[in-house]
Amino acid sequence: MIRTDLAIETRGITREFVSRKGFLFREVNRTEALRGVDLGVERGSIFGLLGPNGAGKTTFVKILSTLLVPTSGSALVLGHDVTKETAWLRPRIGLVLGGERGLYNRISGRENLRYFADLYGVPTSERDRRITELLERVGLGAAGDRRVEEYSRGMKQKLHIARGILHRPQILFLDEPTIGLDPKSARETRKLVRSLVSDGVTIFLTTHYMFEAEELCPQLAILSKGRIVARDTVDGLRELVGGDRTLEAEAYGFEDREVEALKRLPGVSKVVGEEFGPTMRLTMRVRTDEIDADDVLRTLPGHPELAVKERRTSLEDVYLDLVEEEAR
Amino acid sequence: MTANAPAQYSGRRSTVAALRLSLLGFMADPQWLIPSMIAPVIFGLVSFELFQGSGPYFLIYAILGAGMMSMWGQTLYGSGWATGQDREFGTLEPTIQAPSPYVYVVLGRVLWNVVSGLLGGLIVLGVVIAAAGYPPAIPNPVGFAVLFVFVMLTLAAVGVVFAAFYVYTRYAGFIQNIGEFAFYVGTGCMFPVVLLPFWTNPIALIFPPTWALDALRYLAIPGYQGFSWGFGWDLLGAVGTTAVYLAIAGTVFHRVERHVLEVGNLSDY
Repeated sequence: MIRTDLAIETRGITREFVSRKGFLFREVNRTEALRGVDLGVERGSIFGLLGPNGAGKTTFVKILSTLLVPTSGSALVLGHDVTKETAWLRPRIGLVLGGERGLYNRISGRENLRYFADLYGVPTSERDRRITELLERVGLGAAGDRRVEEYSRGMKQKLHIARGILHRPQILFLDEPTIGLDPKSARETRKLVRSLVSDGVTIFLTTHYMFEAEELCPQLAILSKGRIVARDTVDGLRELVGGDRTLEAEAYGFEDREVEALKRLPGVSKVVGEEFGPTMRLTMRVRTDEIDADDVLRTLPGHPELAVKERRTSLEDVYLDLVEEEAR
Repeated sequence: MTANAPAQYSGRRSTVAALRLSLLGFMADPQWLIPSMIAPVIFGLVSFELFQGSGPYFLIYAILGAGMMSMWGQTLYGSGWATGQDREFGTLEPTIQAPSPYVYVVLGRVLWNVVSGLLGGLIVLGVVIAAAGYPPAIPNPVGFAVLFVFVMLTLAAVGVVFAAFYVYTRYAGFIQNIGEFAFYVGTGCMFPVVLLPFWTNPIALIFPPTWALDALRYLAIPGYQGFSWGFGWDLLGAVGTTAVYLAIAGTVFHRVERHVLEVGNLSDY
C-alpha cells in the first residue's frame, strides 16, 4: 500500500556497478554500492542522509531522482515509481549534484538558467522574471550576466541550486550542497534550504557536515557500506549510541580493570579508548544524570594528571560510533 | 516560491533552446572559427586549383567537393560531439534528468550544425567564384539550392543516430575516428560513389547522403553518370532512407537512455 504522507519510500534497494578493464582479457569488477535500503521520508520536511565517502549516498540520490535504475528493490517518490514513471516525476523533482561540473561555463549564469527553464517548460511569460528573482535569491543578482567560467566555486554552487529549484519542484535532492564552500556561503546556502521548506518543498539532503545535518534536519539516516545503519531524530540517534552525555577522561594510560570499573558505573553504556600521542582518552556515553566528572575521578585513582571533561554527545560522536560499529 | 503543478515541456521549445545554446556556445568560443570560417576558405581554394581545367563543369565539382568537405563532418558529427561535450562538462546528467526527451536537444544541435554547415558551403561558393572570376553555370539553380539543403538534412539524420552513441558510451569519439574517412569517401562526399569498387555500393546505399549526393550531381552536372537508376530514384531513396534514420533515432534514443540509466555511466567522460 502506498503511503500518501511519504515523499520517499524505498524497499530493498540494491545497486551493483560493473566495470570492465582490458581489451583482449576482460577483467570484470563488481561493486555493491547499495545493499538493501529501506527508507521512508515524510512530505514537507528536510531529511538528512549522512555517510562516509563511498557509502552510496550519491547513488541513492541518483536512483531517487530517476538518473539511475536500481539493480533490485523499489523506490517511490511522491507516490510514483522512479523507474516506470519518470515522465511524471521529472518535472516535479529538483536535483542539485553540485561541484565544479554540470554547468555551461562559456555562457552566463542567466543563460544557463534560461536553457534549463526551456527544457523544463517554465512558462515563457514568467521565465525571465523568475530567473531574475532566483538569481537575486541565491545571491547572484549582480553576477547573473557574467560567464560561469568567471564564477567562484561558491557561486557555481548557488547557480546549481537556482537551477534545481527553477521549475518549482515538489521535492529537491541536494547532494552535499555546501561541500567546498566558505563558511559565509555555506551559511547562506543553509538559510536558502530552510526557506525552501517553508515554501512546501520536501528536501532530501546528503552531507558530510554533522553540524549542518544537526542544524537543518529533524530526521536523519546514516548510510554505511550501502546499508542504513540508523534512522531517527538527532536525540533518538544519541540514545541509540548510548546517551546524550559524553564524559572524556584523559591520562597517560589506563589499565583494563579501570576501564571495566568505568563500565560498571550507573548509566554508562559504552567506554571506548583512543590513544592521543603520549596520552590515552577514554570516552564514555552516559544515559542518565547519576554520575558526573567527580565519579570518574573517584573511579580512576592514582592518575594525578587525570583530566575529565563533560559535553553533550554530538552528532559527530553518534556518526562515528555507528559507522565504526558497521565497519567492525 | 511554492511547489505547484509542474509546467509541461514542449519538444519544439527544447529544440529551439538547444539551437540557441549552440549559437551562444559558437559565439563564445573562438575555436569554432577554424572549422566554420577559415577551413572553407582553404578548402575552396585547394579544390579550385585541383579541378581547374578538368572540364566545362569543373567549378561545380570544385564547389561540391570543397563544400562537402567543409560541411559534412560538422553536420554529421557535430551533434554527437556536442553530446560528448555534455559528458565532459557534466551537463549530460541534468539534461537527461530534465523532463524533455534528450532527442529534442540533439535535434536542436543538428539544426544548428545544418545552419553552420550551410554557412561553410556559402563561403566555399564565394571563394570559388572569386577565384574563377565568374559564377558556375548551374542548369537549375533553385533546385540545386533546395537539394543542397536536403543533402545537409540527410547528413543530419545520420548525425542524430550517431549522437546516440555519445549518450551510450564515452568511447563514441573512438568509433567516430574509425569511421570518419570511410564515411566521407564511401557516401560520395569526395567523388561519385560509382567510381568506387562495386562491392562498396550496397554498403554506401545504407546511408541517406549517398543517394542525395548522387541526385545533386545529376541535377547540377549535365551528362553526369552516377547510379544507373537516375535522379528520380536517387531522390526517392534519399527521402526513404532519411525517414528510416529519423525513425531509428526516435527508438534508439529511448533505448539508449534506458541503457545508460541501467549502466550508470552518464557522468563518465
